[in-house]
Amino acid sequence: MRDEIPPGTLYMLILKTLMRGSEMHGYEIANSIQQISDDILQVEEGSLYPALQRMLLKGWVTAEWGVTAGNRRARYYRLTPLGRKQLQAELAQFQRVNGAIQRILQTT
Amino acid sequence: MEWLNEFGRRMRQLFRRKQWEDDLAEEMRLHLDLRAADKGSEALAKRKFGNAALLREESRGVWGWAFWDNLAQDVRYALRTLAANKGFAAAAILSLTLGIGANTAIFSIVNAVMLRALPVEDPRRLVELRAGNGLRKSPHVTNPIWEALRDSQQAFSGVLAYSDDRFDLANGGESHFSNGLWVSGDFFRVLGVPALRGRVFSTDDDRHGGGRSGPVAVVSYAFWQANFAGDPNVLGRTISLNRHNFEIIGVTPPWFRGLIVDQPFDVAIPIGCEPLLHTDQSALDHRSWWWLRMMGRLKPGETPEQAQAQMNSIAPEINRATVPTGWDAAGQERYLKRSFWLESGAAGISITGSTYKTALFTLMSVVGLVLLIACVNIANLLLARATSRQREISIRLAIGASRTRVIRQLLTESLLLAFAGAVCGLLFSVWGARLLVRLLSTKANNLDISLSSDLQVLAFTAAIAVFTGLLFGLVPALRATGISPNHALKENARGTVQGGARFTLGKALVTGQVALSLMLLTAAGLFLGTIRNFLKLDPGFNPHNVLLVKTVVPADRIQRQLRSPFFSKVLSDLRTLPNVRSAASSMMAPVGHDFWNQDARPQGYQRQPGEEDVLVNLNRVSPGYFRTMETSLLMGRDFSDRDTLASPKAMIVGEETARHFWPNQNPIDKTIAMDGPGHDVTYQVIGVARNAKYAELDEPLIKTGFVASTQDPEPGSEQYFEIRFDGPAEAVIAAVRPVIAAINKDAALEIRTLDERISDSLVQPRLVALLSSFFGFLALLLATIGLYGVISYAAARRRGEIGIRMALGAAEGAVTWLVLRDVAFILTIGTALGVGVSVVAGRFIKSLLFGLEATNPATLALAAAVLCTSAIFAAYLPAHRAAKMDPMTALREE
Repeated sequence: MRDEIPPGTLYMLILKTLMRGSEMHGYEIANSIQQISDDILQVEEGSLYPALQRMLLKGWVTAEWGVTAGNRRARYYRLTPLGRKQLQAELAQFQRVNGAIQRILQTT
Repeated sequence: MEWLNEFGRRMRQLFRRKQWEDDLAEEMRLHLDLRAADKGSEALAKRKFGNAALLREESRGVWGWAFWDNLAQDVRYALRTLAANKGFAAAAILSLTLGIGANTAIFSIVNAVMLRALPVEDPRRLVELRAGNGLRKSPHVTNPIWEALRDSQQAFSGVLAYSDDRFDLANGGESHFSNGLWVSGDFFRVLGVPALRGRVFSTDDDRHGGGRSGPVAVVSYAFWQANFAGDPNVLGRTISLNRHNFEIIGVTPPWFRGLIVDQPFDVAIPIGCEPLLHTDQSALDHRSWWWLRMMGRLKPGETPEQAQAQMNSIAPEINRATVPTGWDAAGQERYLKRSFWLESGAAGISITGSTYKTALFTLMSVVGLVLLIACVNIANLLLARATSRQREISIRLAIGASRTRVIRQLLTESLLLAFAGAVCGLLFSVWGARLLVRLLSTKANNLDISLSSDLQVLAFTAAIAVFTGLLFGLVPALRATGISPNHALKENARGTVQGGARFTLGKALVTGQVALSLMLLTAAGLFLGTIRNFLKLDPGFNPHNVLLVKTVVPADRIQRQLRSPFFSKVLSDLRTLPNVRSAASSMMAPVGHDFWNQDARPQGYQRQPGEEDVLVNLNRVSPGYFRTMETSLLMGRDFSDRDTLASPKAMIVGEETARHFWPNQNPIDKTIAMDGPGHDVTYQVIGVARNAKYAELDEPLIKTGFVASTQDPEPGSEQYFEIRFDGPAEAVIAAVRPVIAAINKDAALEIRTLDERISDSLVQPRLVALLSSFFGFLALLLATIGLYGVISYAAARRRGEIGIRMALGAAEGAVTWLVLRDVAFILTIGTALGVGVSVVAGRFIKSLLFGLEATNPATLALAAAVLCTSAIFAAYLPAHRAAKMDPMTALREE
C-alpha cells in the first residue's frame, strides 16, 4: 500500500531531505523520500522537478552540475540559509496544523 | 528586498533559456535512466515519472515565461494563418484602417479643441467668467463691467480679460491681417506665461490711452519668427496695427498660442490702448458694447463654489455701477438681476468647438458606426472561417488544449488584425485630421489647430483597437470552441457547425449591418439634400459676378464730414471702370453675420406680443444698390442723389416688412420712426424691395429695411462697395486697387467675390455632406460585401440539399428563390430597423439640416432603394451560381 503525499508538503519534504544529505540530485531526493518513509510515501517522481525549479526561483536552494558515481552529469541541489529558514517556518506550520488535526481525531 | 533577488534570478534565466531547457531535459533523462536501471523496465520508469512534456511545461510556468511564450507562439501562429489568407487579412485591415483612422482623426480634432488643457500654469484652476441671468449666459462683457469686477473682486487670485480681433499690418492698400488680442495688463501674469524676450505687460501699460511706455505690443513666437526671422533685436521696433504704431516690448514662448486654441494669436496689445485705434468712439466707457471675455484663477484650496458665492455677492454692486444708460426701464431692471457664472476654462475656447460642435459629433457618430459595420463584417468572415477551421480546432481541443487557451489564440489573431488596422489608421488619421482642418478653414476664418498626437489620442486609438478586436473576435472564438471535439471529429469536414444557430447569428449580424447602413445612407441623403437646398436657394439677389470691396479709411485722418465725399468719389470712379456694369456701396454686405437691427414704430401699426414683432434689420445703401445686387424693387423708387441730408429721410422696406406692418395697404409714403443718435428719426417709405437674405443663408424670412447712405448723419470709416462686372474677376480686382489708392493711399482694402463669401458660409454643410456621403458609401459597400459573404456561404453549405431538390425536378427559378428568400428576409427586417433608428437619430442632426426634415420620406425611401438594389445584386450572384450547378457534381461531393 502506497500513499500519495499530502498536498502542500512536497516542498517541506524536499527541504528536510536536503537538510540531512547536504548535496543531492533529483533522483536521489526522490529515492530518499521513499526509502525513509519505508516506501509508504510515494512522490509522482516527475513533479519533483517543477517543485525544484520553484525553489530555485525562491532562492531556497542552489544548484550546481557535478558527476555521479556512474560517471554521468547530474545537477546537485544544496540548501541555502533562506531555505533553512523556510524549512523552519514550514515545519512549525505543519506541526501546528497536524497537532490540531490530532486533537480533533482524539476527541471522542 | 527578496522579490528583487527573485526578479534578478528570473531575468538571468530568461536570457539563458536554451541552456535552461537543456539542463532540465538532461536532469530528467538521468532520472529516467537511473529508475529504468533500478526497475529493469523503461516503461515502468516512465509511468512512475509522469508526463514529462507537461512537467517541463509546468517548470517553465514556474519562471513566469509562459505568458510571453504563449503570446509569441500565438502571434507567430496568427501571422502564419493571416499570411495564408491574404485576401481576408487585407480586406480586414483596410476596413479597420479606414474605420479606426477616421475615428482617430476626428477624435484628435475634438481633443485638440475641446479636451486638451491649455499649456499655461495650472490650467485646471482657470475658470471662465460668464455674465447673465440664469438662462442666457454670455461670455462677453462690457469694459465698464470688466473694470468694476477687476477692482472689486476678491474671489480669485487674479482675473484677466481679453478679446480677439484682427489687426491690419499693411499701411494702406490691400489689407494684411494678423490675429490680434486685446488683453488686460495682468493677462500674462495670471496665466503664468513669462516673456521669452523682453517683458510682458504690466497694469501700467493697460491705462486708458496707454501707459508710461506708450502704445506697446507683445508678439507671439511664431509671429516673431515669421515676420522678424527671430531677430533678437526686435525689442523696441515698431509695428503698424491698423495704421497705428506700437512698440514691441516682448515675445512669448513658443508653447503659448493664446487662449483661442484654433486661432493662435500674433500680436497682443493692452485693452487700454483701444481709444488709439478707435478714435470715432471708444469702447472703454461704452456700457452696451459686449466685447471682452473674462477668466479668473482660483486661489489655492478654493473651490469653484466658494468663488461663485463671492461673485454672487458682488454682482449687484457691479451691475448698479455699470447699468447701460439709454435702456428702457424693463431692460435696466433685467440687467440689475444679472450675475456671474463660472465655467471651466482649462481647455480655452475654440472656434471649431463652438461653430462646428454638432458637425463634429455627428461625424464622430458616423465614423463610429462605420467602424461598427466593419467589425461586424470581420466577425462574419471569422465566423465563416471558424467553420472551415473546425477540424483544426477540434484536434487541438482533443489533444488537451484548454478552451481558454484556444480562445486566447483565436483572439490573438483578431487583436493582431485590430492593431495592424490601428497602426495604419493612426498614420491615416494624421493626414485625415489635417485634411479635415483644411476643409473647415476659410479665408476669413483660418483655423490652425495644433494636432500633434498626444497620449490621449494614442490611448484612444489603442482603446478602440482592443475594443474592436474583442468585438469582432470574441463571438466567433466562443462559437468555434463551444462544440464538443468528439462530435466535430466524427462529422465530415463540412457541416460540422450545423444547426440553425450559427446560421442565424450570421444573418442577425448582416441584418444589423443593413440597418446601420441604411441609417448612414439616410444621413448622407439628408446632408446632400441640405447642401442642394442651399445651392438652389434664391437669396433674393444674384450672387454671381459681384465683387465686394471692403474699404476702411483711417478714422483719425479723415474727418467725418470728408468721408461721404470720399466714398462717393470712389463709387463714381469705380463706375467708370471697364467691364463694370454697375456699382454701389453699403454699410454691410449680405451673408456676413453682421447685424444692425432696431425696434421700429411703424405708422398705424399696433405692436403685437413677441420680442421681435417690430424689430427691423437695417442696412445703409447707396443709390443703385438694388440694381447692382439685382434685387427687384416691387413698388416705388430707388434712392437717388436727390435724397440728401436736407431732404426727408427715405427708407426702402423689404416685402416682408411691408406685409407685416401694413397688410393689404399701400406701404408707399407710410412712415417708420426709430431711435436715432440722440433723437428719433422718422423715415418715409419710398419703395418696397423683394425679400432677400440678410445675414445668413439659412435665416427665416425676416423684416428688412434700407436707408440711404446719402442721408447718413455720422458716416463711419468703413464701407462695402458692390461691383457687378463682366469677364474675369481678377482683371476687375487689378483695376479697382489703383482707383482707390489714387483717392486715398491709406485706405485699407479687403477684396473678394460675393460667390466666395457665400461659399465660405457653407463650409460646414458642404463638409458634412461630403464626409457623410463618403462614409455612407463605405457602409453600403461593407454591408453589401457582408451580405454577399453570408449568402454565398449559406448557398455553398446547402449544395447537397439543392442538388437533391434539382435532381427531384426543382426549376432553376425555384432554387434561386430558395437562396434569395434569406436575402428578402434580411432586407425586410434590416430596412424596418434602419428606418426606425434613422427616425430616432434624426432628432440629433436637426440643427444641421436646411430645407428638409430629418424624417423626409423621399430621402428614407431613396436610401432604402439604393441599399436593397445593391444588396439584391450582391445576393443574386451566389443564388444564380447555385441554380446553375450540376446536381450530380453536388451530390457526388456528399
